[in-house]
Amino acid sequence: MNRWIIGLGTIASLELRQRVRSVAWIVLLSVVFVVVGVVTLLLWLALTQFGAGSLDNAAIYSSIIFFVLLVGTLVTPAVSGGAINAERDAGTLATTQVTLVSAGQIVLGKFLAAWTIALTFLAASLPFIVLAVVLGGVPFLTMLTSLGVLVLELGVVAAVGVGLSGLQTRALFSVVTTYLVVAALSIGTLIAFGLGGLVNQTEVRNVYIGLDYSGEIDPETGIPEEIRCLEPEVTTYQSPRFDRVWWLLAANPYIVLADASPTTFDSNGNPEDLFGGIGLGIRQAQIAPDAETVYDECESARNGFQDPYDYPTPEEIYASTVPSWFVGLLIHAGLAALALWGAVARTRTPSRRLPKGARVA
Amino acid sequence: MTTQPAIAVEGVARSFGDVHAVRDVTFEARAGAVTALIGPNGSGKTTLLLMLATLLEPDRGSIRIEGHDPISDPRAVRRVMGWMPDVLGSWATLTVRQTLETTARLYEIEAAQARVRASELIDLVGLEALADQPTRVLSRGQKQRLSLARALAHRPSVLLLDEPASGLDPAARIDLRVLVRRLASEGAAILVSSHVLAELDEMADEAVYIDAGVTASRASVEASRATVRDWRIRALDPAALTAALAELGIPSSGADHLGVLVPVAGEPEAAALLARLTAHGVGISAFGPAVGDLEHTFLDLAKGGRS
Repeated sequence: MNRWIIGLGTIASLELRQRVRSVAWIVLLSVVFVVVGVVTLLLWLALTQFGAGSLDNAAIYSSIIFFVLLVGTLVTPAVSGGAINAERDAGTLATTQVTLVSAGQIVLGKFLAAWTIALTFLAASLPFIVLAVVLGGVPFLTMLTSLGVLVLELGVVAAVGVGLSGLQTRALFSVVTTYLVVAALSIGTLIAFGLGGLVNQTEVRNVYIGLDYSGEIDPETGIPEEIRCLEPEVTTYQSPRFDRVWWLLAANPYIVLADASPTTFDSNGNPEDLFGGIGLGIRQAQIAPDAETVYDECESARNGFQDPYDYPTPEEIYASTVPSWFVGLLIHAGLAALALWGAVARTRTPSRRLPKGARVA
Repeated sequence: MTTQPAIAVEGVARSFGDVHAVRDVTFEARAGAVTALIGPNGSGKTTLLLMLATLLEPDRGSIRIEGHDPISDPRAVRRVMGWMPDVLGSWATLTVRQTLETTARLYEIEAAQARVRASELIDLVGLEALADQPTRVLSRGQKQRLSLARALAHRPSVLLLDEPASGLDPAARIDLRVLVRRLASEGAAILVSSHVLAELDEMADEAVYIDAGVTASRASVEASRATVRDWRIRALDPAALTAALAELGIPSSGADHLGVLVPVAGEPEAAALLARLTAHGVGISAFGPAVGDLEHTFLDLAKGGRS
């Protein structure tokens, strides 16, 4: 076991030494630092125009975290996408494969290195994240969870990048495919969620029992003096079933990030920050529409329109639904594990089959 | 002394789709000897070496490296086998020393020992001046030496060298030859593939001929060796030589700038010819086969294969 870890460490440090010395890495790192800094400044200027308040500061924090996720998921495929096939092209993979390290150590070592490099980009944006936390009075726990999720999400992208570089022959293709996976998760899930909900419509019956306003109307209450009910009107319409496809949205890294942050609620049970608002949206999508809704205006009138307000508050919805970030992270972890497993299977030697047009050496 | 051959290959075949790279290869290579693997381009040499190096699984046949099966126990094979590929890849940003240290680490050699081994290897292949340069600045020949050093990192007892001499200058070739001979004398089994046959002639103890994925049988190799071939004779006085040959009734098959070419079948006949010429008073300054042993056999086998 110890021997296995040492081999893994050798591969990871070999990979790091090769990548970290490259000029491209230093340039990218500086670009990330500057861009995140500029975005933080612009967000600050823009949002403080609306007056200072904890909500604004939370919004600045949420926006910066989202931006860091965007930058991280854009940079990570570039640093992980050619990990295995570029080495195969250069002829250095085979000379590693004939040593005592296994395919599993090679793939996992490269994954750990790619993850570490991706985290250096997170580290480059850390000063601005901390600044937003300090200035905005963001709870420490919120910062901790969002950073934790960022670290995990970058790991997922790194794993997919390394995995695909083991599965595909050409480095260029695997980098592009990794970008496509990131795009599918970030944007594709939104589209799939919207379309999936619309395709999956079910009929909802709405019964409306009206009140006859043709008689004398009490001028004080606006209610007819003699309450006569009309015939129930039944209308049916199609309602999208987002509750059947909500997990698609759960696989969106931005939703995972938003939903994972612990949300605070105000006295009305409404979330207090941007992450909470987004989280609420995905939680609500889990609730199936009622197959039949009844609005009895007549009955309401008898109560003098004093119906108790019985819609669940956002806080209650939160409490009654599945934490979607958990589902999202599971989906991502599954995806990452699948990609890495595939790469290990393809890198194992002696190999049975060769990728088309590829040399083993 | 073990009786088991260091490399034993029997009836090995491997195809890629419709391309039958290796059809039927059988040979043995013993410890302490340099075995040449000879064949034209595309004859399956590299594919065969990849199978021996535990990278590729054969479709048929069996391979044993020091008695270990590369398919069922690749780790045991890798422990004793060093492979120098024909593709010259190196970790571009690492220095020569770091490359060799890392390779040693990948062979599960402890860090301190790996450092010592890296220095030894740098001395061994003569890269001292470039030891702390990144490998991307190395020339082709220098990369070739680095590649050889990498294959030797864990002191393998079986060494597979795929075109080790290509790109080397004459001095480096001699160094390579001396090193390979030394490793063999220390007990390693060395399999060298090359198309520079003259060079293998000086290096190899034995030869395996492969053409179109098939190894030539021992019998056909013996037969080829015994066929008539040209010997080159150079005399102090060329005119005297020509006269002597005419007098002895020996036809000449031509002459080049180095001497007169005479067809001779086998070494006993050559020795007899030399004796007769000297008896005739011709001052012979050079007497030897016009083409090397390996080249002659190789060309003869190739001819046989085509007719």
